[in-house]
Amino acid sequence: MVDLLIVGGGPGGVAAGVYAARKKIKSVLITESFGGQSLVSADVQNWIGTKSVSGFDLGLMLEDHVRAQEGIEVVDGDLVLSVEKIDGGFRATTQNGKIFETRYLLVASGSRRKKLNIPGEKELDGKGVAYCSTCDAPLFKDKITAVVGGGNAGLEAAIDLLPYASKVYLLEFTDNLKGDPITQERLRRDPKVEIIFMAQAAGVIGDQFVTALAYIDRNTNTSKELKVEGIFVEIGSLPNSDFVKNLVDLNTIGEIVVDHKTQATSCPGIWAVGDVSDVLYKQNNISAGDAVKAVLNIYEAINKG
Amino acid sequence: MATIKIYTTPTCVYCKMAKQLFEGNNLKYEEYNVAEDDKAREEMITKSHQLGVPVIDVDGEIFVGFDRKGLMNALHIKA
Repeated sequence: MVDLLIVGGGPGGVAAGVYAARKKIKSVLITESFGGQSLVSADVQNWIGTKSVSGFDLGLMLEDHVRAQEGIEVVDGDLVLSVEKIDGGFRATTQNGKIFETRYLLVASGSRRKKLNIPGEKELDGKGVAYCSTCDAPLFKDKITAVVGGGNAGLEAAIDLLPYASKVYLLEFTDNLKGDPITQERLRRDPKVEIIFMAQAAGVIGDQFVTALAYIDRNTNTSKELKVEGIFVEIGSLPNSDFVKNLVDLNTIGEIVVDHKTQATSCPGIWAVGDVSDVLYKQNNISAGDAVKAVLNIYEAINKG
Repeated sequence: MATIKIYTTPTCVYCKMAKQLFEGNNLKYEEYNVAEDDKAREEMITKSHQLGVPVIDVDGEIFVGFDRKGLMNALHIKA
């Protein structure tokens, strides 16, 4: 049995790993990959201490930092599927069938992409419906495209499409964009971009590939259609809390409820940090800081015995 | 040795992860940048019937996305 099992390889999980190793807490870190959701970001400009870094390089930096620590076992390419309470701690089972027993658990498993759940989305996934703009934007050269979602991720998807697409519609559910003003300005200046407010995506249309996007104009409550060949979905995320949902309290949207002073959950022995928790702002820097808080609190718990 | 073809775009992270897997196991691969190469883009769409990268062709077996487990099986890479 180890003292601490850390689930996740984003900024939260890695910060926890580094601090746990430095406190000589006997730990294991399990993650599918390093970098968290920023992995697919073309350019991260707000990771403090670094003016500009790609999500991929940020992932490498994080991985390198935790692997440089002594006394922490790093397991990557694997995923914790379930956790159960055992005498004196918890038992975690992974996708690759590995079992880990630990005294304490730190959940830093982040969140995953929300889908539209509208007709045609699933059928045309990959056939014009896309979820990774940095990956797939170049495939929409000279094509008319739409981005659904006016938060930061949606704005960034539109930016990624600009060098390739002939036109980018940006659909936002409310009457204002939520992404950073600096990115908004860049999009508003570009003649290729048309922002449609009060738009609710209603259906993906196409036979072999996407040919149109149906939406409801919420101002007039009428159905409209855009002729597009690409639809990039960026409407937020869902917390990866399923594997502990029977152990800890979740809020109505599935986030793990934590004590924001210590990151402790409702279950003694389990802490949660970052986007899987009910933290108000989902940010790399905040996840890292919250993980530090959690490990220092765990360290106190260990010393108290 | 298996013949590996990978269809990529320059900014695609999952393409880089796939290439890392090949390189880490000393496997040779041919890379086609579909952002530039129109012919390769058509070939990729014909093979995979879709528009996402990476597409990886291992001796005719087509993988869409970075399917680490599937690739490790096909290439006999041990975990």
